Amino acid sequence: MREYLRYALTIALKDLAIEWRTKTAFASGLAFAILVLAVLFFSRDPTAVASRDIAPGALWVTFTFAAMLGLNRAFFLESEERALDAVLLTGIPRSAIFWGKFLGNLAFVGAIEAVSLPLFVLFYDIVVWPYLPSLVLVIAMATVAFVAIGTILSAMVVRTRYAELMLPLLLLPFLVPPLVGGVQLTARLLDGRPLSDYLGWLRLIGAFDLAFVTLAAVLFGVVLDE
Amino acid sequence: MISTDPVLRAEKLSRSFGYRPVLRDVSLELRRSQMLVLVGANGAGKTTLLRVLAGLLRPTSGTVECSVRVGAVTHDSMLYPALTARENLRFFARLLNVNDPERIDELLELLGLGTRGDDRVQTFSRGMVQRLTIARALLHRPQLLLLDEPLTGLDASGRWELVERLGTLRADGAAMVVVTHQPEALHDVGTHLGRLDGGRLLALEPMGGVDA
Repeated sequence: MREYLRYALTIALKDLAIEWRTKTAFASGLAFAILVLAVLFFSRDPTAVASRDIAPGALWVTFTFAAMLGLNRAFFLESEERALDAVLLTGIPRSAIFWGKFLGNLAFVGAIEAVSLPLFVLFYDIVVWPYLPSLVLVIAMATVAFVAIGTILSAMVVRTRYAELMLPLLLLPFLVPPLVGGVQLTARLLDGRPLSDYLGWLRLIGAFDLAFVTLAAVLFGVVLDE
Repeated sequence: MISTDPVLRAEKLSRSFGYRPVLRDVSLELRRSQMLVLVGANGAGKTTLLRVLAGLLRPTSGTVECSVRVGAVTHDSMLYPALTARENLRFFARLLNVNDPERIDELLELLGLGTRGDDRVQTFSRGMVQRLTIARALLHRPQLLLLDEPLTGLDASGRWELVERLGTLRADGAAMVVVTHQPEALHDVGTHLGRLDGGRLLALEPMGGVDA
């Protein structure tokens, strides 16, 4: 088990080292996040729509599409010089490759979210301090679901000709449940509603986390077969 | 004779891409210290055969049995251009459970990259990338090497050094399958010459290398 974890961590740290060095996905993800937050903020009529009303949607649209840029890149690192073949030749369990890529993607998306959240607070003038731990929990839960499914789908589409187009097309239908859950929970949190109002959506996102992570880990080996 | 047990046995391998057959009923056996040099026209199925033998591609039918550690060099470098040479080797060493801290420096020196270990691979010339690719394949002291055009991109002295190195590895017991368009360069170290034609492996001919 220790060895298995070491393989996964080695892969995740390698991905993060490459991203740290090139900063291509992070920079484009962040630029995209700022752009979406700003466009949505300035597109509303402030006399008719309060910024708080569109804030949950704006937050999750920003997270989703900014994260997609990173997920798209995750397997391009491996396909660029077919380095994934060398990883497969080492004979490590394929599920360890999944966990490595998953952890790397999770850290990447988490970093984008960590930088986007203060920008969101700034743009939309929202006081999040009272709900911050709950909001972070909701963001973390929804992020796990879409990173898990995004990781396996990016491995699937990387060998296709139009991979960058294919990933959003395949990913978005799967993202609907966790994304709707994220928006609903964020709206309830910002409205200061009681805990009983959250539990249903929290359970739903939890169920999707479990289903997506399990399915992705089990099917990953099959996906890597040419 | 070091051992008569085959380290690699392929039986009736076929592989199609869609309806297009690329390999047809290829069978071969390789023992320790044997080097099969594979030649054939473009599209004859050489690279596909190597990928099937490496386990990177599933055969449509037939079986591959391999009982030893495998190292492979393919058309692509299988390296991360944004990482340095040393970081690439360290990454693969961890996945291969190579715990010898000297091994990476030893290989970098051996392949003439001792002074470039901390440079990113994306700054390397084609020949240097090829040397590093070979270093990666040798990290875990494989007993079977699958090499696709290993001489490509190397200058004359690099080619000579690599052929000599392959000869030494073979003498030490490693078995090899080498795909090349320059079989004459491997004449003294190869033990068998195989020709692929339309996905079929024609009868093997002996080469100059002594079959230990």
